[in-house]
Amino acid sequence: MLNYRDYLSYSEKCTQLAEEESLDKLKFLIPSILLSWIAIESFINNIMDDFGNLPEDLFELHERSLLIEKKVIFVDHGGDMGKFKLGQREYKKLEEKILFLIAKFGNLNKPYKGEILWQNFKDLRDTRNKILHPRRNIELTLTVEKAYKYLETSKNIIQFVSTNVWHKKISF
Amino acid sequence: MKILFEENAKKSEKIEELVSIFLKEVSTLETKLDVPMVIFQDGVNNSYYIKCQISARIASKIIDLNAKIKAKDPGSFRSNRELMLEHTTYLKMELDASKGREFNDLIVEYNCEYNADKFLKVWGGQHRAHAILNVISSANRYHGFKVYFDLNEKQRTEVALISNTNMGVSDDTFDKMLEETTFGDTLRELCQKVGLLGPKEDFADVGARSEKITVKIARSFIVNYYMGLDRGKTIKSGDLDKNIYEPYVTETGVLIDSKYAEVMSEKGNKILGDESLIEAGKKFIELHRTQYEKVKGNPEKIKNRKAYRNKALVISVLCGWSYIAGLLQNHRARLLNHYEIPKTTSKIPDPLNAEEMSNFKHDSDLPTYRGLGTRQSAKDLQRLAQVFLAKSLSDSCILDKRFLQKAVSTVVGLTTLKKGYA
Repeated sequence: MLNYRDYLSYSEKCTQLAEEESLDKLKFLIPSILLSWIAIESFINNIMDDFGNLPEDLFELHERSLLIEKKVIFVDHGGDMGKFKLGQREYKKLEEKILFLIAKFGNLNKPYKGEILWQNFKDLRDTRNKILHPRRNIELTLTVEKAYKYLETSKNIIQFVSTNVWHKKISF
Repeated sequence: MKILFEENAKKSEKIEELVSIFLKEVSTLETKLDVPMVIFQDGVNNSYYIKCQISARIASKIIDLNAKIKAKDPGSFRSNRELMLEHTTYLKMELDASKGREFNDLIVEYNCEYNADKFLKVWGGQHRAHAILNVISSANRYHGFKVYFDLNEKQRTEVALISNTNMGVSDDTFDKMLEETTFGDTLRELCQKVGLLGPKEDFADVGARSEKITVKIARSFIVNYYMGLDRGKTIKSGDLDKNIYEPYVTETGVLIDSKYAEVMSEKGNKILGDESLIEAGKKFIELHRTQYEKVKGNPEKIKNRKAYRNKALVISVLCGWSYIAGLLQNHRARLLNHYEIPKTTSKIPDPLNAEEMSNFKHDSDLPTYRGLGTRQSAKDLQRLAQVFLAKSLSDSCILDKRFLQKAVSTVVGLTTLKKGYA
């Protein structure tokens, strides 16, 4: 099973190939950027699983809803009538998962959305969305420099979460 | 021949008489030259000794390489580490001896209480002594001996320990010596009773090279069992899976581990009658033997490595297993599941899935992490305890990759949760 280190390493390799390629750099830049994003997804999802695997009563229902990506539903019939419980799969945004982890386990008592790290993360997210949801009227400008920047952003986000949740730095 | 006491040695008629008897029985260079013999007394343990030169031919007739700490106990085992006669250092030693090299500071005890013909019991320099004996036909030189007299068990143990300190003797050998002196045969008897040792088998001298168990392993098993037992008494069944458990590895070497000493001072040889502990030991041996046989018998599916065969004996695996055995004593249904040997499949030929454990890595681990059940760090001990605790939820568990990931994920989650709330 691949982990975030593998994805980061593949992303880096793709960027290097793009650097060496003279004609069609895009064929390497697109996977490079997606892999940088996947590295964060892999890392965050696995942390969410670490908590999602714990006995249910260690978290509030809405927290578990985020952890195991299931919808909170109101039961209006049967034995559990009038109670809330978790229902079908409901995918949560990566951004929300990060916000939750930092708020729950980090000692960061200040907003950080305005900081460069978060702005770079949003930039990576937007580019990833443009790649994954292409439209005629959306312009996609990818460069080797951007790919390296996203790779760095991916590492920085992973480090940010690791230091706030596990209180230790990751070795890449 | 004149016998004198060194100025720091307290005069003792008994010792003087013993030295005198010794010198009548053994012809030393000092006797031959009529040089006065000086009796010294150790400043630390008060033991008496002389320093003298004995020829190889005479020494060969009176040296005993099977010295025992408990001289009066016929059941007591040889206390020194095994001789390494194939080792290049020894081979060089023997070659030198054959060419006439004289050795010094051979540490022996004059003791006629067992194997009386060979009354010089070797405590330090057993390889040198062996080399001297082996080349007696080609070289007969004088060798320097330090001969101790009238040692009690405590003094004898210390002499054995200090004599071996310079030789890179393993801590396992120290453990073996100290165990016998301090607690007698209880640990060995228990291990023989449950099958951790064969009927007349003793603990290994050097655990890393052996496939036998060491004193440290046996002590760790017991300590963890009782630690788990104590913890289990305080936890309700529903809360068992909400905790991080911290098995413990006993200290090894010249000092006896404090937790083990605590268990032994409280229970002593009563542990030999603790049926639950003995049952746990027997179940553990079943697991070890199954693991061993499955690895050995499936060379096409798993490498027949010692580390895989003996996976159950890896200290973190053993401590984790034993701790959980103690923890679940008051939770019978889960205990019975714990005692079930993990199932094997066509892809997982060994119950402990040693290969998968070795390849295991969590995202929070360093890239250099060597896998589950390979170290004795606190992290590894906690993880192994969780593996066995999670296994106890079912009677037909397979330790596959997914299972291991979930178990470790639980430990990481609980640890983080604890820190997050702190």
